[in-house]
Amino acid sequence: MSGKSGIIRELRQSKTLLLMIAPTIVFFIVFSYIPMIGVYYAFTKFDFDGGLFGSQFVGMENFKFLFNTGVLWNLTKNTVLYNLAFIFLGNIMQIICAVFLAQLSGKLFKKTAQSLMFLPYFLSWVLVGAFVYNLFSDLGVVNSVLKQLGLHSYDFYLHTAPWKFIIVFFSVWKGLGYGTVIYLAAIMAISDEYYEAAKIDGATIFQQIRNITLPLLKPTFILLILFSLGGIMKGQFDLFYQIIGSNGMLYDATDIIDTFVFRSLTVNFDIGMGTAAGLYQSFFGFALIMIVNFIIRKTNKDYSLF
Amino acid sequence: MGKIKKRWTLLVSLSMLASLLSGCGGSNNNAAEKNNSDASGGNASPSASEATASKEPLKKVKLTWYLVGDTHKDMDKVMAEWNKMLEKDLNTTVDLKFTTWNDWQTKYNLLLTSGEKIDMIFASSWADFYKLSKQGAFLDLTKLLPEYAPVTWGNVPKDDWGSVTVGGGIYAVPNTNPEYTPSGYVYREDWRKELGLPEFTDLNSIEAYMDAVKTKKHVTPINGLVYDNVNVLFKSWNDFQMIGGNELIAATSYDTPRDIQIVPFTDKYEAWVKKMKEWADKGYWNKNSLSSKQEAGDFIKTGQGAIYWRNPSSAGGFINEVKAKKLNMEIGYFPFTRFHNYVMPTLPSSNAMAVPKSSENPERSLMVLDKLRNDPVYFDLMTYGIEGKHWAKGKDAKTIVIPAPGVDLNETPRFDIASWGWRYEPNMLKEEGGWDGLDKLKEEFKPISKPDIFGPIYMDYDPVKTELAAVNQVFEQYGKPLMLGLIPDVDASLKTYRDKLKKAGIEKLLTYVKEQSNQYFDEKGIK
Amino acid sequence: MSTQVKQLAKADAFKGNRIKQDKETIAFNIIGYTLLTLVSLICLIPFWLIVAGSFTDELEIISKGFQLFPDTVSFEAYKSVFSTPEQIYRAYSVTIGVTIAGSLLGIFLTSMAGYVLSRKDFAMRNGISFFIYFTTLFSGGLIPWYILMTKNLGLKDSYWALILPPLLSAWNIILMRSFMKSIPESIVESAKIDGAGDFKIYQRLILPLSTPGLATIGLFLALGYWNDWFNANMFITTDSKYPLQFLLYKILSSAAVLQTNNGAYLAANVVPPTETLKMAVAVVATGPIILLYPFVQRYFVKGLTVGAVKG
Repeated sequence: MSGKSGIIRELRQSKTLLLMIAPTIVFFIVFSYIPMIGVYYAFTKFDFDGGLFGSQFVGMENFKFLFNTGVLWNLTKNTVLYNLAFIFLGNIMQIICAVFLAQLSGKLFKKTAQSLMFLPYFLSWVLVGAFVYNLFSDLGVVNSVLKQLGLHSYDFYLHTAPWKFIIVFFSVWKGLGYGTVIYLAAIMAISDEYYEAAKIDGATIFQQIRNITLPLLKPTFILLILFSLGGIMKGQFDLFYQIIGSNGMLYDATDIIDTFVFRSLTVNFDIGMGTAAGLYQSFFGFALIMIVNFIIRKTNKDYSLF
Repeated sequence: MGKIKKRWTLLVSLSMLASLLSGCGGSNNNAAEKNNSDASGGNASPSASEATASKEPLKKVKLTWYLVGDTHKDMDKVMAEWNKMLEKDLNTTVDLKFTTWNDWQTKYNLLLTSGEKIDMIFASSWADFYKLSKQGAFLDLTKLLPEYAPVTWGNVPKDDWGSVTVGGGIYAVPNTNPEYTPSGYVYREDWRKELGLPEFTDLNSIEAYMDAVKTKKHVTPINGLVYDNVNVLFKSWNDFQMIGGNELIAATSYDTPRDIQIVPFTDKYEAWVKKMKEWADKGYWNKNSLSSKQEAGDFIKTGQGAIYWRNPSSAGGFINEVKAKKLNMEIGYFPFTRFHNYVMPTLPSSNAMAVPKSSENPERSLMVLDKLRNDPVYFDLMTYGIEGKHWAKGKDAKTIVIPAPGVDLNETPRFDIASWGWRYEPNMLKEEGGWDGLDKLKEEFKPISKPDIFGPIYMDYDPVKTELAAVNQVFEQYGKPLMLGLIPDVDASLKTYRDKLKKAGIEKLLTYVKEQSNQYFDEKGIK
Repeated sequence: MSTQVKQLAKADAFKGNRIKQDKETIAFNIIGYTLLTLVSLICLIPFWLIVAGSFTDELEIISKGFQLFPDTVSFEAYKSVFSTPEQIYRAYSVTIGVTIAGSLLGIFLTSMAGYVLSRKDFAMRNGISFFIYFTTLFSGGLIPWYILMTKNLGLKDSYWALILPPLLSAWNIILMRSFMKSIPESIVESAKIDGAGDFKIYQRLILPLSTPGLATIGLFLALGYWNDWFNANMFITTDSKYPLQFLLYKILSSAAVLQTNNGAYLAANVVPPTETLKMAVAVVATGPIILLYPFVQRYFVKGLTVGAVKG
């Protein structure tokens, strides 16, 4: 397969396959790639009459606000660490739930549990925020319980320590049902033959899980982790914004790039600066995913994202 | 998960706050430019005859108008009636559209930047009117107004035209309905009487009230979201006049407009935050008040709060609501104007109508606006709704009853579209049975009214946008907790706050704000 | 894999094995039931509080916060949500229509794309996967997108503006690809030898074999459409075309406006929605879609068919 004839033969051979994926390609060109020219805003001083390409080119000027304040390192660290916690803890919890759901025998119980686990997905962060406030405020549920136990009440909103756990907890909680479905579907795709063979050979249920289920879930696990890594610099704005709000005292531990940018631009929104911040996040996600994907491709081609 | 959603979330939220100044590239603007020249240049011959009307019949035109906010349930019926009249009088129909309130700023800016064909849109100083005008979003109406909106051109005061003039061009038609919206507190008047406390006059009387409420009534005086409630008191009591829409740089009083300082660096601020630390420690508000999700007013309604920041008309709304819900309490209102005994009316440019550059029929659009503002039949219909349904004539020609007798407000809610842009005082009707305090306040305000010399200072922050972003960040993180006395050590926190502000470049920002303000004061001859 | 299983089986093939297995199964069940019950409760309680809250008296919510059972039951919030019932019903039908049309079309295109990308003999699969994934990394922002949709595609106020944008996502396609990868290659191979075309293999063999995957993606698509208010917010201007989520979102929005500084300028007659209304809105908006999930569950059947085809 070399030269022109090779490509043509290749195209002819996979003509049907190409046709089948053509709508998808067109879709992404139209809805994603064409609007991507907007990243150029990050390098211009925008003015109405010039528009996107007529405005003055200012180089890296719009990125300055990110670097000037000296908190970028802390923000980046927070964003990345939170995301890593969300990704790994989230996936592990989802796998555990999916494994039990797949193996337990009580049908009604399983169905009910599965449905209930999906409920948090439907609650907006606004409501979750209100709920969290009700739990941890001065007169909230937690402090009432502490009082009843004769303990001192605790000012959650003046201390940073508990919030790392609260935030991670609610993030995992909210995505649990959604992610469990994926793993459950992956488990369902495992042929029964494996388990039957194992049973005949006398393997216990834990052994079956360790030696059949988990290894076969590995590709899905790696795939989901990989997919999420590209967005490692992008935080879930709503989660942080609704739970922490404008409580400056908690920012050291709870501020992420997205909330920082949001606050920085409240007085004077600037499209150039907004786009610049997004580009910073994208660029690092892009670099990271390229490296990780490259390594995975080298070790096991099947697991790589592309 | 849902990556697209996530991606949007930030973008949306970012843009929700303030405007996206943006454009869509050369082509639209060229088109707009062309319209502009058509409109102004073509005045002399064919279109001029359109205005002087009658001789030649007007060409049939369909206009698109946009208002902010939500539509009304009966909008279709109102529009049908309006279009019937418009078609007869001006051979025009209008398609009236609304942004809805959610993310209205994003949508408002997208409408302008994408160059959608719009012939008239609500404009306001609080919807970035000055910024957008400067960037060329609207059509310069200077030449068109005398020709196509002659009545309006005649009855809008000269100063008001001045407030919508940007760089020599008039970019909007302001409303003519002077209003006063100073800050103030609504509070539990019945408790004040019960506890035998003096009426509010100054900070001490307010402090005494809060103290009594806390110690004798065992109620947190300002419950829920607290920051704004304290911040407005701070600004009003000390007479700080914030300049350029940020919370940190202000003139030290109305009478010393050129004495512009960094607020947190002043002695007044230092004294204030020390007092606030005391107040916070005494429990005048909760420790978690920066994260609360509930308006302070909601707690008044449940008997768990006593004070809530409002302007006079929203205070009226609050008092009416308390009455309507038959809550057993008496609510008083104290406007902060009494601290320094003056009040500034809202800017005429805070409610206006403008013509975007994308308009194909600016002349006709102005003709419709002229009619709408000045013809009471048009005005009443679009401002109050259908007579006999949404409203009925009151005891005299100047008053109305809402709703019309026999109409259930639950079925036919009051007609409340964002009609502020075309309001004209002589055509305004007064509602019978509203809160009478509002009229009394108006009487109180009129003799002490002074012109707003700070609001119109338009700040183009572009040269210092990096500093502004950094400073705002510091303010959010350190300034807000300090203002509410939520930190353990005021002196240490104040020092950190000041240091961080300096590092963020607040002095550069101050220099810039001073420059711009002085330029404006020179222009207007203000000492 | 199977060698691993065999080794293990050999090592474990002792007498008394069965008893041990039973013990372990009991342990497994105890852990499983306890854990899942706990998790379910943690997921249920907040939702229950919201539902209970929506039936609570407004002033009670403010003064007492969330309660498992309200002291005084009130339907006020639902009365105001349903104050214009025609509009709610119409919004329901718009949402249902868009959700069904979008999900069906989406699942068709996603499964085709997933299938093509899962074919190991398709040389461009990595290139195209990258091409798709890349769109999750970079975006041009709102403005170019808005201009594309309104000016170039002319989708302002069109149902297509609701259907098209959520139709395909990199996430769904890549998930689909991974589901389809787990179908043994030998099936495709043998069908090819029998002379079946690529589309026919996809349609006759792959689709029936990937029901859990299809159900998952179908569910995600349906959820996406059901929860989408953003596209309506941007593009729909006629009230009769509002989908449910947007309509309800709109009910809540005046509160947000009132909390900003601009609120000071607004007329007093903009009434903020109440706390209970927020919750009632959440309940009304999510109610029907929650019922979808148990329905989807029937497609999560162990992949026996794989064995059937193989044999």
